[in-house]
Amino acid sequence: MVLEATMICIDNSEWMRNGDYSPNRFQAQADAVNLICGAKTQSNPENTVGILTMAGKGVRVLVTPTSDLGKILACMHGLEIGGEMNLAAGIQVAQLALKHRQNKKQQQRIIVFAGSPVKYDKKVLELIGRKLKKNSVALDIVNFGEEDQEKSEKLEALLAAVNNNDSSHIVHVPPGPSALSDVLISTPIFTGDGEGGSGFAAAAAAAAAGGVSGFEFGVDPNLDPELALALRVSMEEERARQEAAAKKAAEEASKQEKGEQQSTSQDATMTDNVNADTSEPEKKTNDLMDDENALLQQALAMSMDDSSSTVAVRDTDMSDASADDHDLQLALQLSVQDGAADQSNQTDMNKLLADQSFVSSILASLPGVDPNDPHVKDLLASMQSQSEQNKEEDKAPKEEEKK
Amino acid sequence: MACLHDHNCEEHDCSSDWSLYKHIDLSKVSALNEAVSGSVKSVFRAWEQRLNSSEGYLESNEGDPELIVFIPFTSDVKLKSISIVGGVDGTSPAKMRAFINRDGIDFSDAQNMQPVQEWDLVENLQGVLEYQTRYSRFQSVGNITLHFPDNFGGDTTQIHYIGLKGEATQLKRDVVATIVYELMPNPSDHKTRAETGGGLSQVE
Repeated sequence: MVLEATMICIDNSEWMRNGDYSPNRFQAQADAVNLICGAKTQSNPENTVGILTMAGKGVRVLVTPTSDLGKILACMHGLEIGGEMNLAAGIQVAQLALKHRQNKKQQQRIIVFAGSPVKYDKKVLELIGRKLKKNSVALDIVNFGEEDQEKSEKLEALLAAVNNNDSSHIVHVPPGPSALSDVLISTPIFTGDGEGGSGFAAAAAAAAAGGVSGFEFGVDPNLDPELALALRVSMEEERARQEAAAKKAAEEASKQEKGEQQSTSQDATMTDNVNADTSEPEKKTNDLMDDENALLQQALAMSMDDSSSTVAVRDTDMSDASADDHDLQLALQLSVQDGAADQSNQTDMNKLLADQSFVSSILASLPGVDPNDPHVKDLLASMQSQSEQNKEEDKAPKEEEKK
Repeated sequence: MACLHDHNCEEHDCSSDWSLYKHIDLSKVSALNEAVSGSVKSVFRAWEQRLNSSEGYLESNEGDPELIVFIPFTSDVKLKSISIVGGVDGTSPAKMRAFINRDGIDFSDAQNMQPVQEWDLVENLQGVLEYQTRYSRFQSVGNITLHFPDNFGGDTTQIHYIGLKGEATQLKRDVVATIVYELMPNPSDHKTRAETGGGLSQVE
């Protein structure tokens, strides 16, 4: 999508009457010019294209660089064939036209259609080429029509003088069955831009080869450019969105795998110590992320050996494994929800802690804690009284309200 | 890091004077007739690094000593002096012509236009010479174009360092992009609050 101002130099000399390109050289040239204009304006909406003729009465600028495709195509009508091509003057006038372009940020490019013999010597052409290079103007040459050794040599020398970093190209098109424009589509003159040019070129090629409308979205960019542009933009947006979604899904998948592996580790240890070890739920209620690698390894090893329900799906397996112990199930459910760090979770926890039997059962399973220990008993008593107090307080205002 | 000026460097830090390179909009720096496209950006460095051109230098094309360097700034600057370090064997530039606040100058423009100031340069391989500007003319420089028409006889012209000394203001020259002018006022565009809400005032 290079921002470019292009001047196209057309050869409308007597040599263009020849019919070795169908229908005649001039018509083939005109088709190629139309195609190039379309490609340039499509690849970047701020690109401008201008046209001048090199033969006839003299070098004449038909339209100065503009982005209005209609104007460009209109000026191609009614051109007359005659006279001799003046290559040097044509290129110099093109350079002048580019120098006075409105947007100075555009790169300068000249495309020359050289159909008739070149009467200038190599030295003059090289001088012109060096001047173009000095002012960083790129030059594309389409060598068609008259073929002689000298002409090719001169044009190659011109290209060598201009070429800076492969920005200039030359294309030799011998007469043959395929049209001039078809041959040009696959050359760097079209595809030199990169994506934009080749997109248009591909569409045009498909149309030329296949027949009906091989255009990208079934819409002719020439007939309805806005629709084509809208379709292209929405396609790209969709693609970007899908990529983002895919990336997110990949991330989530990897997270889920991690989570699943942890849950299977918990699960495996559960099935191992169903009744005995109820300290697991406490561990789980703290933070799933804490007890990583050791448990993971253990779990994997166990899940390899264990034939029972240690497979993927979290919830169902957990509920199966802990069907015996009601308390355990509650704890498991809590731990499953714990990852989301729910508010309600907290209150559930508090309620459970307040529940006397649950606490005592947990304490009973903790190694080194004897429920008969007086300190533990005091603690339990205080907790119980607290919860009772809360209940009483709740009841009291309610009763008052009732009154 | 001795400064070879004849002033006493302990009083001020030389490198901070030559710090206008920080205000150059490097992405928009361009040169015409450079052999390697983009090499002009390596020419703007800190004062201490002025002799260290390991990252490349600006060289013109073979057989053509002319160079144009376009330097836009991120804000307007006041330019006090310029220092140029050239190349050896006659590849140092011999003359320098400066144009201010003009876009898109090419060689034919540069040759025909009268520069804001022009200097005759000497070979300055140690970077100790500075060329002072007529300060009154360089008070608000948004961009500067330097044209080097010839050198001391070498095949190409090489520039290893361009140093700019001055101060940066925080102002920016704003190019007026779009203005809508009214040839005749359209009353519907000028409804007052009173008119829409009722009241005595009127727009004729």
